[in-house]
Amino acid sequence: MTKFQETASSLSAENISVWFGERQVLQDVSLTFPANKVTALIGPSGCGKSTFLRTLNRMHELIPSAGLAGSVLLDGQDIYDPKMNAVDVRIKIGMVFQKPNPFPTMSIRENVISGLKLSGRKNANPDELVETSLRRASIWNEVKDRLNDQALSLSGGQQQRLCIARSLAMDPRVLLMDEPCSALDPGSTRRIEETIQELSESMTIVIVTHNMQQAQRVSDQTAFFLADDNVPGGVVEFGETEQVFNQPIDSRTNDYVNGHFG
Amino acid sequence: MPNRQVDIQPERRKLSVGPLSTGDKWFFRTTTIASNFAFILVALILVFLFAKAWPAIQQQGPAFIYGNTWDVESDPPVMQLGPMIWGSLQVAFLGILIATPMAISAAYAIVFMLPQRLAKIATTLIDLLAALPSVVIGLWGLLSFAPVAANWAKLLNQTLGFIPLFQITGDEPTYIDSPFIAGWIVAVMIVPIITSVTREIFSQTDSGLINGALALGGSRFSVFSRVILPTSAPGIVGGILLGLGRAIGETVAILYVLQLTFDINWYQILEPHGGAVASWILSRFGEATEKEFEGLMAAGLVIFIVTLIINGLANVIVSRAAGRNR
Amino acid sequence: MSKTISRQPWANQSVAGNLDILIGSILPAAISVILAILTGMDFSLALLLIFLPLQLISVCTIAFKRQGARGIKDGLLILFVIFFSATVLVLLVSVLVSVVMQGSAAMSPHFIYQNNKYVSTTTSLEYGGVGHAILGTLIIVSMTTIAAVPLGIAMAVYLTQSNSKLTGVVRTVTQALSGLPSVVAGLFILSFMGFANFERSGFTGALALFPLMLPTVARVAEEALRLVPSDLRLAALALGAPNYRAFFQVILPAAKSGIITALLLGLARVVGETAPLILTINANNSTNLNPFSGGIATLPTFVYGFLGSLYDTSQARAWGAALVLLTLVGLLFGMARILGRAKKTSASKIKKAK
Repeated sequence: MTKFQETASSLSAENISVWFGERQVLQDVSLTFPANKVTALIGPSGCGKSTFLRTLNRMHELIPSAGLAGSVLLDGQDIYDPKMNAVDVRIKIGMVFQKPNPFPTMSIRENVISGLKLSGRKNANPDELVETSLRRASIWNEVKDRLNDQALSLSGGQQQRLCIARSLAMDPRVLLMDEPCSALDPGSTRRIEETIQELSESMTIVIVTHNMQQAQRVSDQTAFFLADDNVPGGVVEFGETEQVFNQPIDSRTNDYVNGHFG
Repeated sequence: MPNRQVDIQPERRKLSVGPLSTGDKWFFRTTTIASNFAFILVALILVFLFAKAWPAIQQQGPAFIYGNTWDVESDPPVMQLGPMIWGSLQVAFLGILIATPMAISAAYAIVFMLPQRLAKIATTLIDLLAALPSVVIGLWGLLSFAPVAANWAKLLNQTLGFIPLFQITGDEPTYIDSPFIAGWIVAVMIVPIITSVTREIFSQTDSGLINGALALGGSRFSVFSRVILPTSAPGIVGGILLGLGRAIGETVAILYVLQLTFDINWYQILEPHGGAVASWILSRFGEATEKEFEGLMAAGLVIFIVTLIINGLANVIVSRAAGRNR
Repeated sequence: MSKTISRQPWANQSVAGNLDILIGSILPAAISVILAILTGMDFSLALLLIFLPLQLISVCTIAFKRQGARGIKDGLLILFVIFFSATVLVLLVSVLVSVVMQGSAAMSPHFIYQNNKYVSTTTSLEYGGVGHAILGTLIIVSMTTIAAVPLGIAMAVYLTQSNSKLTGVVRTVTQALSGLPSVVAGLFILSFMGFANFERSGFTGALALFPLMLPTVARVAEEALRLVPSDLRLAALALGAPNYRAFFQVILPAAKSGIITALLLGLARVVGETAPLILTINANNSTNLNPFSGGIATLPTFVYGFLGSLYDTSQARAWGAALVLLTLVGLLFGMARILGRAKKTSASKIKKAK
């Protein structure tokens, strides 16, 4: 078995503000993500939670007009430091997207190890890496006999778990998930939630979700984001999931988690 | 609970958007250089044409554009492009006049009348027409089409000959080699481009709007004239401009079917004389002296600048209309 | 299917499929054919003077009978659309049929592989062919392709991958270049040859085709790259890929068939170009495989050359070469079509899979 580092990192965002052009979409967000914890980011559409997620592994800067203030610390080191390379940051902090996006021209096997080729890394035993990664994403048993099939032959839920395996193959310390289940059926959703639970033993997870039940099921702590017409998004409440959902301090959090708006 | 008031503007950080590695640096550098080639090419064409054309431009002066003598035997040679420029415009205008109803009809049929499968076949046929080499169209125009079109010309002359446009001076007219036939040939060459632009524009008309008009008791005709045409007009104009650009640049096909003369033919489109700058360049090129060669370069410069402006304008209009400005 | 229905909201008031329509469309045609045969009238004349007015009356009558005054306008609209669309179709078919019919008269195996050495304008068609011109066209067009395709793709990459504000200007200039008159491309290289002291050869012909091929390749390749979902690029970057690896390993493979389409359409664009070659190469009646020296024949210049002569044999040769050229264009075009369809289905597969 390939040795994974099995060491999660702690991540913390300090005073993050974000702009697109002159329009500010986030104002002064500070959150800490302790190692091996699952943090859920919730809030209505357009509150900036997905944007925030993208600042955590420097995907944000790919948008031409993007602007940023504040810093993101990975084990105490600022990932936006000029000396840091975005490539290294993205390898340490993996990401799973809203819609499953396996590479259509590659087989299942090639998809899993695509990160190695894409980042120009070598692995002594790729076959083992494929198996370990697929096992960790709980999809090994379903695909072990068809590793050379095209990735698009899988169902939507399987494709998403393949994408998780693809990220895991890079041995990330932190995994960011942007509404990973929003395009999936309940069965697939449940399996991915189980996977998240298992993965949290070896990494730190931040998940954006619209689904209140999901946030309660998978996360240790929850941050509630909110934006208004002319006010950029920000965190209204941040705490233990149990507390945010059952004894929210802010009345708006109470309204949101109980389905009064959003 | 963070402060949600935006009073204090935090300082923005500089985000690195540049290359991620040495490979990336070369990747971006190469593609940027490649993209600059578009500018370089335009500049090179201008510079090289201008360099060769300069002596002629200097010597002929503005009369190069409007004068109507081309005498390279005299010393200094007189080279004036007037009749050819007028002829180019005349043929292009006739071509557009003939092509536009055909193109709009074909686009209407493809988008609003034909079932999907037939529409696809029709689209392919139009694209195929666009792919036909102009030398093939010219061959067909000279040997197959001209005799037929001569009949049409004869008919026009005999029935509508009292209109100056269709008059022919001189005896025993042949009805061929005329701007009329050249106009048809140009029309065949530009129908595809106007059709494909119009089709794209038509297919973007809001079907909700059409449904609404029909629900209010509109007929097919009123929907076409009040809904489809007004919303599509700018795009169609752009398509026609693209066609105009092609028509002005058309060389070989026109050369086969038009008698080029410096006796300017203002409007008698059935007469066997007319002009076309591009064709003139090709027809003179073989026997040109160094001086005449410079004059032909100047003629090339004229069509290059004119077509560049028309095409640039047309593309801006079309992409605006089609909402393709990404 | 639902798209088809919403596209044609008037489908329910279609005027097709009933008896009066049938009579209304057959009668005018029948009357005009009979009249034309009886009076020995010119056919196109009969079409214009008898058929069209009769058809007009018939359409108006039917439309009026069915929908009143407002139906007349609808009927006229449909009549005009059908008439003008049919004209386009007739013109296209006429070109194709002429070339195929006349061209096949000159066709024979030796016409394909022999060259034209010792052939004059009146030599019988039993001798000579376009073999040398096919080879010349292939050589010249390949040389253009080697330069124009990589550069065109690189431009397309810039237009799709770069964040630069200049992309809009580059796109506009590229589009404007795609309308470059072919004779101007020839003059440009001719002037360049004067300054650079280049001899006329196949190579200078290839140079003259280059500015014509480049914008076509760039435009089609850009469309192909744009069809690749941006998610894939983001996924690759999120895995720690530099941009160039994301492009070569993910985006390019996904756009492969579209890129080949760009190549094919670029080829189809220049393979029939005549004017630039007349300006920049010398003709040749025999085979010349050296693109850097001597005259070289190509299919379009072959057609052009023989058309200048009024002899039947020469014209037959021109038709024959035109048929070969048209076949070549048709093949390129057909392959591009098939690939284009494959590209769209695979792209929709990618989209559907999400």
